[in-house]
Amino acid sequence: MSEPEEIRIPRFDAYERVMHWMAALSFGYATLTGLAIWSPKLYWMGTMLGGGFHIRGTHPWSGVVFAVMIGVMFRRWAAGMGLDADDRVWLTRLHKYATHDHGALPPSGRFNAGQKMLFWSQVATTLALFATGVVLWFPESMPRPLRLASIALHPLAAIGSITSILVHIYMGTAAVPQSMRAMLRGYVVPEWARFHHPKWYRAWRASHRS
Amino acid sequence: MTVAKLIDTTLCIGCKACEVACQEWNDQEYTLGTFGGTYQTMPDLAHNFWNLIKFNEMERDGGTSWLMSKYQCMHCAEAGCLAACPAPGAIVARPNGTIDFVQDNCIGCGYCITGCPFDVPRLSPTTKKVYKCSLCSDRTAVGLEPACIKTCPTNCLTFGERDELVRIAEARSTELKADGFADAGVYNPQGVGGTNVLYVLKHASEPEQYGLPKDPQIPLSVSLWKGPMKWLGTLMFWGTILGTFVHFVIYGPQDPAKHGHPEKEDEPSERA
Repeated sequence: MSEPEEIRIPRFDAYERVMHWMAALSFGYATLTGLAIWSPKLYWMGTMLGGGFHIRGTHPWSGVVFAVMIGVMFRRWAAGMGLDADDRVWLTRLHKYATHDHGALPPSGRFNAGQKMLFWSQVATTLALFATGVVLWFPESMPRPLRLASIALHPLAAIGSITSILVHIYMGTAAVPQSMRAMLRGYVVPEWARFHHPKWYRAWRASHRS
Repeated sequence: MTVAKLIDTTLCIGCKACEVACQEWNDQEYTLGTFGGTYQTMPDLAHNFWNLIKFNEMERDGGTSWLMSKYQCMHCAEAGCLAACPAPGAIVARPNGTIDFVQDNCIGCGYCITGCPFDVPRLSPTTKKVYKCSLCSDRTAVGLEPACIKTCPTNCLTFGERDELVRIAEARSTELKADGFADAGVYNPQGVGGTNVLYVLKHASEPEQYGLPKDPQIPLSVSLWKGPMKWLGTLMFWGTILGTFVHFVIYGPQDPAKHGHPEKEDEPSERA
C-alpha cells in the first residue's frame, strides 16, 4: 500500500533525466562497440551490434552524442560541482562513507563529494576521449604522431571512464536504494534527502516552508 | 618455407613494367596521376596502386643520381599493421611470410595505416577498406611468382626462398663493394624482425635516401595498447565489478534507518 501522504522532493527535473539517460545510452553503446575494437576477445560484442564494419562507422557517432550530452550536463551542473570545505573533509573520510559510518561525515549538498568527483572525472575523460577519438576517426587526414598517441591514449581514457561509470552504476542501483527512482521519476522522499544530502534537504525545507 | 622478394636497386632501369604487371594481374582500375616533373608514374601509393617505382632524384657522387626504389608492402616478419589491427582475420600472416589483407574481415578503421612503419596501406574511399600488395598470394599459392617479378626485364627483381635470397643479396653487395661502392649493403631491417621484401642498396647506410626508414619498428603505442593496457583494463574492469560486489556482500545498501547521523535533526513537521 502506498502512503497517501508521501512527500516528494523534486531531485532531477525532466531535462536532467533525459540528458542523463541519453548520456547513459550513448555511453553504453560506445562502451560495447569500443570494447569490441579494443580486444579480439570482446569482438563478439561488435558482431552482436551489427558487425565490425558497421560499428566502426557508428562508434564515433555514439561518442559524439555522449560528448554533447556531457556538454549539456556541464552547462546544467558545473556551477554546483565545486568542492566546498565540507566536501574536502568528506573526501578524506571516503572510507567512512564506504563502511556506512555516516555519522563521521560532514553534511553534503545536492551532490556529495563523490558525485562531484565522478562529474569532473567524466568531464576530463570525455575531453580526452573526444580529442583522441576525432584523430582516430579520420586516420588519413591526421598526422601520424597524433594517431600513434591516440591509439594508446583513447583506450587509456576509456579504461578510466568505464571504471568510474561501473562504480557509478553500483552506487545508483544496489548501494543507494531509491537513487534509481530519483533519476527515473525525478523525486526522493524527505528521509532519503536528509540522510544523503542534508544541506540540500535543509535548503529545500527552508524554501518549502516559506 | 618463407618466401621473399629481392629488389636489387642497382639493376632497376625504371621501366615500370612491374607497375603495369601489378595493375594488370590485380585488375586495378587505371587512375590518372599527377605529373610532378619526374619520370615517376604517381606521386604516391593508392588503394588501387600497390607498387610504385620511385625515382629518388638527387645530386650526389658528382652528378645527378636516381636512387630507384620499389615502394610497396615490405611483408615484415613482425608486422606493425597486423599488431595494430583490431579486426580478427582482417590481416593474416601466411605461413610463407606473406602479410595478406582480407577485405571481407576489414572494418576500415585505418589502424594498420598508423601501425605500418613504411606507410603502405591505403584506404579506399569507395569500399572504406584497406588495400596493399598481397605478394600476389593468389599466384604464389599455386606456385607462380608474383606478377612484378615475372615481368621484370633486368632481373632486378627475384622471387624465391628467403634464406637463399639473403645469400644472393649478400653476395651482390660484396660484388658492388668490389666495384667501388663501399657503402653497398642489404636492407633487411631487424626492428621488424626482418622483411620478406629485401633490398640491395648502393648506399645502405642511408636508406632514407631511398624513402626507406632507417630503423622501422612496431610503434611503441601499438605495443602498449596490445600489451600492458589490455592487462590494465582487464584488472580495472574485473577489479571494480568484483570489488563493488564484495562491498555489497559485506556492507549491504546504505540505510537511513540504520546508518543515520547520531546528531539527528529535529523531526520536521512534514506530514502537515
